[in-house]
Amino acid sequence: MSSKRTGRSSFVERTLVDINATLEQSLFAEQTARLPGLLQELDPRLKILSALLVLLAVGVSRNLLVILVLYFLVLALALFSRVPLAFFVKRVWLFIPFFTGVVALPALFITPGPVLVHLPLGLIITKTGLTTALFLLLRVGTSVSVAVLLILTTPWNSVLKSMGVLRLPPVIILILGMTYRYIHLLLHLTNDMFLSRKSRLLRRMRGPEERRLIAATSGTLLNKSLQVSSEVHLAMQSRGFRNYPRTMDTFKMRTIDWLSGAVVIITVATAIWLGK
Amino acid sequence: MEVPLVFDVNGLCYDYDNQIPALDHVSLTVRPGERLAILGTNGSGKSTLLKILDGLYFPSQGLVFAFGKSLTEQAFQDDAFNFEFRRRVSLVFQDSDVQLFMPSVWDELAFAPLQLGLSREEVKNRVESALRDLQIEKLRERPPHQLSGGEKKRVALASVLGLSPDVWLLDEPSAGLDPRSVAWLLDFINQQGESGKTVITATHDLGILETIAERVYVLGEEHQVVAEGTPQQILADKALLISSCLVRPVQYRQK
Amino acid sequence: MSQIKSALNSLTRGTPRSLMLYYGIFAIWLLTSAMHIPDGYLSPVTSIIMFIIVLPFWVMGVRKLREKMTAKNVPLIALIAAFSFVIMMFNVPIPGGTTAHAVGGALAAIIMGPEIATMAVLIALVIQAFFFGDGGILALGANCFNMAVVLPYVSYAIYQAISKNQPLISKRRIFGAALGGWIGLTVAAFFAGFEFGIQPMLFHTANGTPLYAPYPLSVSIPAMVFAHALVASPIEALITALVVAYLQRTNQSALEFVKKPEISPELSGFVRWRALWIGLAVLIVLVPIGLLAPGTAWGEWGTEQLSSRGLAFIPQGMAKLSGLWSAPLSGYDLPALRNSNLGYILSGIVGTIVIGIVAWLFTMLVTIRKSETKET
Repeated sequence: MSSKRTGRSSFVERTLVDINATLEQSLFAEQTARLPGLLQELDPRLKILSALLVLLAVGVSRNLLVILVLYFLVLALALFSRVPLAFFVKRVWLFIPFFTGVVALPALFITPGPVLVHLPLGLIITKTGLTTALFLLLRVGTSVSVAVLLILTTPWNSVLKSMGVLRLPPVIILILGMTYRYIHLLLHLTNDMFLSRKSRLLRRMRGPEERRLIAATSGTLLNKSLQVSSEVHLAMQSRGFRNYPRTMDTFKMRTIDWLSGAVVIITVATAIWLGK
Repeated sequence: MEVPLVFDVNGLCYDYDNQIPALDHVSLTVRPGERLAILGTNGSGKSTLLKILDGLYFPSQGLVFAFGKSLTEQAFQDDAFNFEFRRRVSLVFQDSDVQLFMPSVWDELAFAPLQLGLSREEVKNRVESALRDLQIEKLRERPPHQLSGGEKKRVALASVLGLSPDVWLLDEPSAGLDPRSVAWLLDFINQQGESGKTVITATHDLGILETIAERVYVLGEEHQVVAEGTPQQILADKALLISSCLVRPVQYRQK
Repeated sequence: MSQIKSALNSLTRGTPRSLMLYYGIFAIWLLTSAMHIPDGYLSPVTSIIMFIIVLPFWVMGVRKLREKMTAKNVPLIALIAAFSFVIMMFNVPIPGGTTAHAVGGALAAIIMGPEIATMAVLIALVIQAFFFGDGGILALGANCFNMAVVLPYVSYAIYQAISKNQPLISKRRIFGAALGGWIGLTVAAFFAGFEFGIQPMLFHTANGTPLYAPYPLSVSIPAMVFAHALVASPIEALITALVVAYLQRTNQSALEFVKKPEISPELSGFVRWRALWIGLAVLIVLVPIGLLAPGTAWGEWGTEQLSSRGLAFIPQGMAKLSGLWSAPLSGYDLPALRNSNLGYILSGIVGTIVIGIVAWLFTMLVTIRKSETKET
């Protein structure tokens, strides 16, 4: 995602930082996903379905408290899955919800309703405004937490393959896997291109220069993408691929998975009922 | 009874987009169990030749026979033929990033057996034995972008090993590998050769020539076969090596 | 004319002018990721509806993947999606010192056609949702509709309209690409603003507190449209145009890919009527705007409404038959939902589905008849 900093560093710098941050994140997620924690042990298909159910409960709830409780449950799960809590909280709240805070801010003032606080400049904060803002913030924060927890406790490849349980066609799963794999290739390529440009910089690039670099890099990336794609097509054919891919996973539901599933269903049902 | 040639190529011509010539009247034969090298500099058409031998491209002119059957687009429409050919002949691409397109090593090794319709059990078995044979068991869950060059090459070879191919087509397999990996690669090629497999290696690396091949075809810059012989014969022919841009005139050294 | 004015007035009713400027500024500030709707902004009901709307486009995309050209499309889509994903990370410097980034959907559509572009952007969105936990998992349907359907199809239509029959290297193509990107993303932003804006109206607590995105249409639509039209859409236009220009110089075959798309006979009819389908889809989505209109549709009056309009008598036939049929969704409402606006939208969906099924059945019958007569 784009960096929110508007510093004096050039576009090249910022994109490089973003790229490296992405690669690091990906690596970190792969590592935490292999720790011996609570969630890591469970069947990925179960986890995906549970995540969806919890998201639904969060989305449907008309009760702030219910959402808050669900959030703390997610935190607890993170704790038991050996996910560093400080990192987890930062990772979630520093991005989208921070953003959402900005979006929600005007709502404090403009939502009609009973007044809560009078501010200078004739601005007022209404009770309804505050409630709305809290709903938005908590919902977004909890939802992101669920998604991030899923990612941190499940190897990406398992996430992919378990989407078959969502009735995703095998060809899409194949493409998803390939896309993930080649994002890294392109990221490394971009990294190299920008680094080589940066190493030849004696001064900062000016706007038009930067835009030319973007155009050239994008074009090179596109050409590389097209070239790799036609070669990969040959490689796939060479190994027997025709038109309909077959995918395979090695997941097996065990007792603990069924039990966890039951727990999730009960919790979510309770949450939905309480949140009406 | 005469055993059919693995490959019988006659007057093969291939043009990219019907304009840029890649191969010009190439003829060659490959006998079962042979270890062959196709020597040529970059741009001589080696990769294209291997792809044609693997039935990925089809000739603009000329004929290509594999195991006595003609390789044409129509021939590959037949599922049985496709299955048989893909199982028996395997191409390992020069660029491992092209060969390894799945998100994990396990998936990579499972791809070929899966696509060829083997049962889940059988696929699992093939993957396990390929992991064992190439000693990459601990790499099983790794994504390809977390592999070193040598590891990638092993996984690339493992990705087709599960089919137990009879014919190996290797495109510049030693490119970018460190000496230890090259040594390992040469062992692998020899192993395959000793078990009776046919190995065709395209390369411009003169250093590995004698180890990997009993017979050599040389492709010149004009995309034609300019020589054929044993590695010793080819390596001794300085003029040939220079004219095919396989060595630089000043720095040639007899290995 | 006065009707339009009153409609506009009702749209902006209830919002002090000064505050509109205030959050207009905020809107510009949040433009960078504004297109990606996270979970929590849209009610689950809206999310589900968006999934339903986007489903046919997914089916189309997958079908196109199953045609003769399938084998090549698999890695192509993966690579284009990966490319789109990486491009989305480019912080493009714009005058003023801030940055923004492009979606890449317009470019994908120009190079691969809109159906495949849908799949490519979908893939990138799925990865973003599941890899980063960013763009929302429940909101995937809505995000897909905006960025994987509206953006590619609109940009593609405009690009084709402008560059039809032009040589591959003509400057008009660059212009077409830029305009397509600009309009495409702006229209996508409109839909996103729409999706935001209907939330407070449809989903609120008893005392009126919005439960999801808090701003009404009068705020969300102008905010999204202006924020994108002024900043994000030009970025999309810029990147699309720059890359198309680059391809013109270095790899023209990439631009040719869509020139003669291979369309299987079953789909060719659809493609010919594509504009119609898109128009239909737009109409369907615009249905909820009816919620804004005061009063009832002119002329569609029941007996009570007739008399309340001052009609002195009720035609005999009408009076006799008025009780004969009571529709399941009478008045476009479902009382059980306790929310007449939602009922309105739901009845629209049910109606569309029913008509769709009937039309499809009809087509099946006709084609069966046709093939039968052919064989005899």
